[in-house]
Amino acid sequence: MSMPTTDGQTFAVVRELIARDHALAPETLTPETPLQSLAIDSLGLIELIFTLEERFDVLADKVPDDLPTLGSVADYIDSLVAARTAAIDDGAPAA
Amino acid sequence: MAARRVAVTGLGVVSPLGNDEAGFFESLQAGRSGVRRLDAPFSQRLSIRIGAPVGFDGAAHFPPPRLRMLDRVSQFALVAAQQAVEAAGLLRFEGWRERAGVFLGTGMGGAQTTDDGYRALYADGAARLPPFSVLMAMNHAAAAWIGIEYGLQGPNLTYSTACSSSAVAIGEAWRRIRAGETDLMLAGGSEAPLNLGTLKAWEALKTLASEDPEDPSASCKPFALDRSGMVLGEGAAVLVLEEWEHAQRRGARIRGELIGYGLCTDATHMTHPTVLGQARAMALALESAALDASAIGYINAHGTGTAANDVTESQAIRQVFAAHADRVPVSSTKSMHGHLLGAAGAVELAATLLALERGTLPPTINLRIADPACDLDYISEGARKVSGAGVAMSNAFAFGGTNAVLVCRSPDAARAVQGVD
Repeated sequence: MSMPTTDGQTFAVVRELIARDHALAPETLTPETPLQSLAIDSLGLIELIFTLEERFDVLADKVPDDLPTLGSVADYIDSLVAARTAAIDDGAPAA
Repeated sequence: MAARRVAVTGLGVVSPLGNDEAGFFESLQAGRSGVRRLDAPFSQRLSIRIGAPVGFDGAAHFPPPRLRMLDRVSQFALVAAQQAVEAAGLLRFEGWRERAGVFLGTGMGGAQTTDDGYRALYADGAARLPPFSVLMAMNHAAAAWIGIEYGLQGPNLTYSTACSSSAVAIGEAWRRIRAGETDLMLAGGSEAPLNLGTLKAWEALKTLASEDPEDPSASCKPFALDRSGMVLGEGAAVLVLEEWEHAQRRGARIRGELIGYGLCTDATHMTHPTVLGQARAMALALESAALDASAIGYINAHGTGTAANDVTESQAIRQVFAAHADRVPVSSTKSMHGHLLGAAGAVELAATLLALERGTLPPTINLRIADPACDLDYISEGARKVSGAGVAMSNAFAFGGTNAVLVCRSPDAARAVQGVD
């Protein structure tokens, strides 16, 4: 049984991706940074989730509409990783 | 009430001959070819390896997140639109966007995205596709992006009639402005077909030119006896079409005037053109411009370099122009930029407008051996300086049989009609 991880590794990946794409210094990005302030709209969020799905080998059916900050995106990916790990622990086929 | 007039107040070009208006025209008048051997990773799988590519790096124009949402066809269209809007000086003004729209033509839309997606799924066994595959591949993407970029709230349509797509888009935009439904239209076309899937599909149709053994850049030979077909090219052109008084009120520089549009359909065969259909489209364009054929001082021909088109088009010109056919200079700029399919009509109208504005008619290059069945004046000796070629015609004919012809006037001739300098 795994819980969402909060060790910040996922956020570090989010920060690295955003910093590279938007040509920003990584240290200017925090878990509280609003997506809106980066001009990441609903389509931009879909793309960010897609990239993170690939990176963490998870698959989201839908993109939740309550992910207002970089931290909430990282937490969401963590929850997908946890769900996948739980499924493997239960003997279900991996995605 | 007199019909509203339609000025051209801006143009933008992304082409195998240069990625702005100046570079494009310079290459045209120098008779420079943009045709070359393609050096794509898949080139060795092509039976015919020539094309007319655009030297273009999307990353120089769009930041990474934006770039990942844009097929090459939309990148071309957005860059051409930006050039046109800036050249027209539109961004200094307010209050025009509600009655402004976008009409674009494309034959294949986001063909690169479709090709990439199929390869990922079928060849690489990918489990999923990039998230914007639909938004990148859809035919209407380029026009929609332009509308969003500039906040244009009037009609936004994409025309797809194969090789006449963008001539149709421009002609239909002209009609909207004339009818008083809009005051300003961004009109043109974009095409990016130089991917493996699209090139192999064209190869199969046996209509592409063979590579010239001595000079690959000379492979497209419209109206020549030794012509062997068309050469596929890529690119985009966008024009700012503006109601005359609207343009005058804001002091816009007039780059020409669009005065006629003829549209008809062969309705006989998917690929074989007819003299009757091409002649009718030219006659309809002259009729809508209220001009006699003798008023035309230059024809930018469809001139694909295929056996069928070039003879048919020459005969159709002779039928419409009668005795004047021996006096009107005709050229196919496809000899230099290749066939841009859905973007051809727009790029060639841009060439025609620039020719009138600068008084220099672009040549038909690679026409060294005359075909007795093509007996017009094709400007084969190199660009020709002219004075007083005030009105010109641009032809676009298509697979599927949709014939579209545009007639335009030089800036000087347009001002003379109005009676002001």
